[in-house]
Amino acid sequence: MTRVLERPKPFVIPELCKGCGRCVSSCVKGCISPGNGINAETGLIPIVVDLTDCNGCALCFDACPEPYALQPLPDGDIAGASGTAPGLFPENAVLPAPQPRPDVTVPLPEREPLIVKGTYAAALGAILAGCRHVFGYPITPSTEGAELMAKVLPELDGIFVQAVSEVATVNMMYGAGGAGKRCMTFTSSPGFSLMLEGISYMVGAEVPAVFVDVMRGGPGLGNIAPEQADVKLACRGLGHGNTHALVLAPATPQEMLDLTMLAFDLAFKYRNPVVILGDGFLGQITGKVRLPRHMVEPGVPDWAVVGDRTHRRNLICSINLDEADLEIHNMHLVGKYRRMAAEEQRADLHRCDDADTLLVACNTPSQLAKGAVKELRDRGVKVGLFRPITLWPFPIDALLTVLDRVRRVIVVEASDGQIEDELRLALSHAGVHAPPPISHVRRMGGILPSQAEIVEHVSKLDGVLR
Amino acid sequence: MTSTVFYRRFERHAHGEGINAHTTTYCPGCGHGLVQKYLADAIDELGVQDRTVLISPVGCAVFMYYYFDVGNSQAAHGRAPAVAVGHKTANPESIVISYQGDGDLASIGLAEIVSTAQLGIPITVIFVNNAIYGMTGGQMAPTTLIGQTTTTTPGGRSTLAGHPLKMAELIAGLDGPVFVERVALYDNRRRTHAKRSINKALEQQVTGKGFAFVEVLSECPVHLGLDPEDAESWVRDTMSRTFPLGVKKDVTADGAGFPPIPMPRFDSDEALRTVGATSEHPPRFATGFPSHVDPEDISIKLAGSGGDGAQTAALLITRAAINEGYDSTHIPSYGPESRGGTSFADVHVALEEVLSPEAPHPHVLVAFNTPSLARFGPTVRPGGTVLYDSSVTGAVPAGLPDDVTLVGVPFASVAQDLGTPLVKSVVALGALQGATTLFPAETFLTAIRAALKDKPAVIGANEQAFATGAALARAQV
Repeated sequence: MTRVLERPKPFVIPELCKGCGRCVSSCVKGCISPGNGINAETGLIPIVVDLTDCNGCALCFDACPEPYALQPLPDGDIAGASGTAPGLFPENAVLPAPQPRPDVTVPLPEREPLIVKGTYAAALGAILAGCRHVFGYPITPSTEGAELMAKVLPELDGIFVQAVSEVATVNMMYGAGGAGKRCMTFTSSPGFSLMLEGISYMVGAEVPAVFVDVMRGGPGLGNIAPEQADVKLACRGLGHGNTHALVLAPATPQEMLDLTMLAFDLAFKYRNPVVILGDGFLGQITGKVRLPRHMVEPGVPDWAVVGDRTHRRNLICSINLDEADLEIHNMHLVGKYRRMAAEEQRADLHRCDDADTLLVACNTPSQLAKGAVKELRDRGVKVGLFRPITLWPFPIDALLTVLDRVRRVIVVEASDGQIEDELRLALSHAGVHAPPPISHVRRMGGILPSQAEIVEHVSKLDGVLR
Repeated sequence: MTSTVFYRRFERHAHGEGINAHTTTYCPGCGHGLVQKYLADAIDELGVQDRTVLISPVGCAVFMYYYFDVGNSQAAHGRAPAVAVGHKTANPESIVISYQGDGDLASIGLAEIVSTAQLGIPITVIFVNNAIYGMTGGQMAPTTLIGQTTTTTPGGRSTLAGHPLKMAELIAGLDGPVFVERVALYDNRRRTHAKRSINKALEQQVTGKGFAFVEVLSECPVHLGLDPEDAESWVRDTMSRTFPLGVKKDVTADGAGFPPIPMPRFDSDEALRTVGATSEHPPRFATGFPSHVDPEDISIKLAGSGGDGAQTAALLITRAAINEGYDSTHIPSYGPESRGGTSFADVHVALEEVLSPEAPHPHVLVAFNTPSLARFGPTVRPGGTVLYDSSVTGAVPAGLPDDVTLVGVPFASVAQDLGTPLVKSVVALGALQGATTLFPAETFLTAIRAALKDKPAVIGANEQAFATGAALARAQV
């Protein structure tokens, strides 16, 4: 072991000195001078130290921008010491590898159903999923979620921060999610657009978080009525780069709660954001919501940047300057997407068993389509409803189980074919190049396809219109 | 003398191979290296290495996580303060440092730094101002001096490109921060002081005082086109004339510090109480589904002006129906027009499940004013019921289906007579019950009492309003 002098004098490690000379003027005794020999390893000209007049003032250390170029002279013989001398650069101290603290599932007693609006249901689901960190920026028709969180989280010593913008919101989530916390936001279409950059960073850095996007009419400021025109953003456009996230599409206030709870589990299972796409109606509709029979007390993931000794070596980061490293990282992410696509498809099949006509719809339009199924069935039309609960991955496996019997597919949606595009892409990837004819009932601008329009469309196709 | 807060070997820098394991990415003479040494020293001296979370920016300092043996989080361009808020709220015990350059903090990240500073949350911001964009290769920064040549101000910055932004003064003008200082690195005295200032700023977080901000005037010799010594002189003689050094705000001796950031709780009873769960089974009064209105799905529209209480009444119907064991939904019109102007609500009551939540052809319409009656009256389905406020609607507009039951009840004047105009919606609800017998009166009254459980004084007036509305309607059907 070498011992460092109490008033240390410097020596220079030539290959680590960039020769900037800031130490030269710092030395009042004139001990340091610009060098004149080019260092073979760096191509730079390191400074030269002559310690004859050195009084150990140590000001030169504070003038050197490099951590290791100027070293305190150990109390001993360092003749011939160089940057590679043993003892000068010990390896990094070894810290014990962090161990994950698992989530705890706490059973809940049975309770009466609540009567709450969709955004509230999502908020309550988040609370029961162990989310105590909510960040947000008010935007109609999603704001009630944030309002409820602002009211109830303090009672649980949770945190609600109203950010300066959606851009700040998503980055607060990057921080809290990076620290391993279950965090979320409520937003609506224009706000979701602003969050996409941050979501790309989260995907890259593998930060889990839950986004509830209550979709409204667009493009631009559009209006505040329900639309389903963020599907392409959520499924195909989560910022730049090779991004994907699980996209859940609830249809009722009950599913706003259930799928929000599920979203947190999935976000942490895959270390990836999860997007819940609702529509304006779902945000605002009040209905009956049954509480789950369990809640979650979240643990601490081993990868989190917590700010304690155990997790000190962790890093949340999306930059990877080396091309080969970044390709490996992309392949890792793509591997996760493949797993999600294989394991997380979810769909609800309503009266599809004998259906020759298949409606495809999600969110509130799927409820309207369900009404149409009932009406048409009463008239003897063999119609069923295929409801994707995951929009990404599209639940193609479940669709294929009924597609053989189907003579026609009708996509019901409040957008110009964004859900139909997901369906067609999924069929194509599944090798179904000649599916049954696909037609559609579409509305836009904040208007949902009505039950009557769906019935009329099917009736026309079926030739039973009176 | 190198703090052990730096990694002994920079394993994240080019896989820790060769001299990269012990050198930084900074150009010769760059001020970043000095600032980071002082920061490492401060972390060391305050004994907070294990608790520190360092937010690296975008810019030349993007790779700080190569060097600092602390928890690291790398942020998007400009967003480091927002990321810092996330980390600090996630773990109030952590020591969160946001380190940013001038483009990152003073250009693209202005909203984040200003709002975070005003939030006053105890984090530490180190702002390195070298008057130029380094990483992208010498473009104009928000802090570039008037007359200074950059690649995007080739003729020197004119005021057409804006004025240099004095961040320390701007931040010091806010209420949130407790300590704001601008320091420099151009000689021993300034360096020693910069070191102390960074230490003091970090100390404000360790002691829970609050948000601290240190702006460091720094040298970028390469993009200034100067050798390091001349760059120091330029900062001393030129740059610091625009950006005067000194403490801009120091209230560290005052006040109790930032309020403690709570640590969340996960008690299940508490969580259930918070979400409003109850094990109390609501009493039921109905003997069955109101199939005289519709066998399985009844739709009701309530329409009026904002403030009429259409939404309140609608919600009470939904609550009443669910308490009776049926499915029900309420969907409001919402947004700007719900804060005045028209306000309408669609309600469904279904035997099993509400499918279409809208009510384009309601069984029952409750119209609080004449325009609402004129607009929605014609949509009521044959055999339906139309209730309207006869104290504001004189002549019933034309266009109503012939076979609807038309019931006029003076909602507003009944409420007026009771001395509480606000109960107008409850008069209407009573009228709806009286006219349709959707559910027994007690079903609605129970829902009303539950909604008013925190305002027991007004329950009597509401009960009276309901009873009067119901009686007046019943007399007409």
